[in-house]
Amino acid sequence: MFEYPAGSRVRVRAVDPDHHTRVPGYVRGHTGEVVAALGRWPLPDDSARGLPPRVETCYAVRFTAADLWGSGDHTVTVDLWESYLDRP
Amino acid sequence: MGGQTGFGPVPVGPDGDERAVPFGADWEARVYALAAVLRRRGVFNSDELRDAIERLPPEVYLSAPYYERWLGALETLVAEKGVA
Amino acid sequence: MTGHEDLPAAARTRRLEERLIAAGLTSDEEIDEFLTRLYTRAFPVNGARMAARAWTDPAYRELLLADGNAAAAQAGFDGLGYLLRVVANTHQTHNVIVCTLCSCYPVSLLGPSPSWYKSFAYRSRTVREPRAVLAEFGVTLPEDVRISVWDSTSEARYMVLPVRPAGTDGLDAGDLAALVTRNGLVGTALV
Repeated sequence: MFEYPAGSRVRVRAVDPDHHTRVPGYVRGHTGEVVAALGRWPLPDDSARGLPPRVETCYAVRFTAADLWGSGDHTVTVDLWESYLDRP
Repeated sequence: MGGQTGFGPVPVGPDGDERAVPFGADWEARVYALAAVLRRRGVFNSDELRDAIERLPPEVYLSAPYYERWLGALETLVAEKGVA
Repeated sequence: MTGHEDLPAAARTRRLEERLIAAGLTSDEEIDEFLTRLYTRAFPVNGARMAARAWTDPAYRELLLADGNAAAAQAGFDGLGYLLRVVANTHQTHNVIVCTLCSCYPVSLLGPSPSWYKSFAYRSRTVREPRAVLAEFGVTLPEDVRISVWDSTSEARYMVLPVRPAGTDGLDAGDLAALVTRNGLVGTALV
């Protein structure tokens, strides 16, 4: 079972690490809906620093333009590793 | 970079670049190939490469052509790892 | 930095190559062989053929959308090295692919990425104002069509399955594949 099932709401942690990460700035602090669990992959934050990587589930998470930008009727789906996420 | 403003129109060439050559110069193709073969050999991984690109000085990141960023990153990684 | 940045990029590249070759980490043959394989194997027709088959074969379409890697393997592309996710356009939804963080792209199925895909303008604006970006490609969608943007931030690579154009019933597989443009597979063109 996945920590965040499809359809559940997740909030992206409002982080600003000084190391490489794959959380785009524009979704940090925003809440979206899990579309799918994609797979378990090494966390880029670790791999980029030459650390033995934590292997985590990566989720496709969908955000609305209205939430991200305050306007627009499109959605943006971003792939995010589990440690980038929290329950809202 | 998502959502950042001020970058102007998308540089779409004629016919949407459907028939554009992938590399503007031989050195660009060789930089692309070098990154791939070194990654394949385990000299660095993709995340280290992306990180090295992101660590380029901001003025280089924003003004250097795309494959020159890769070149800078390769030079950085080769120096940092002391492999050549 | 190493102080080489004053040299033209071509000279810097050759200098780097020579150091790596001297260190035994690569060879001219290896680089040439890699590029030959890239130029002879990675083409948008690869993705186009998969899309065209999905238009005529419902079981393949289902596989393509549920397990892109298995569908790619059936098309002769084993060991992609990434999770292939194919997203279907409908008359209500139009998909567009971007990588805001760098420029991740399914090269083996679409060929090397175009310059515009790697541009700051495309990377920054597509997630924010996709309709305006599509207009710059000459694409105007009806107002009631929703746009779904996919930001390739992980090991997954995305490809769009365009809507089969009307009036194509009599076409064979090759003709159908010829209708599917590279931009159609990224979402910046209708086919």
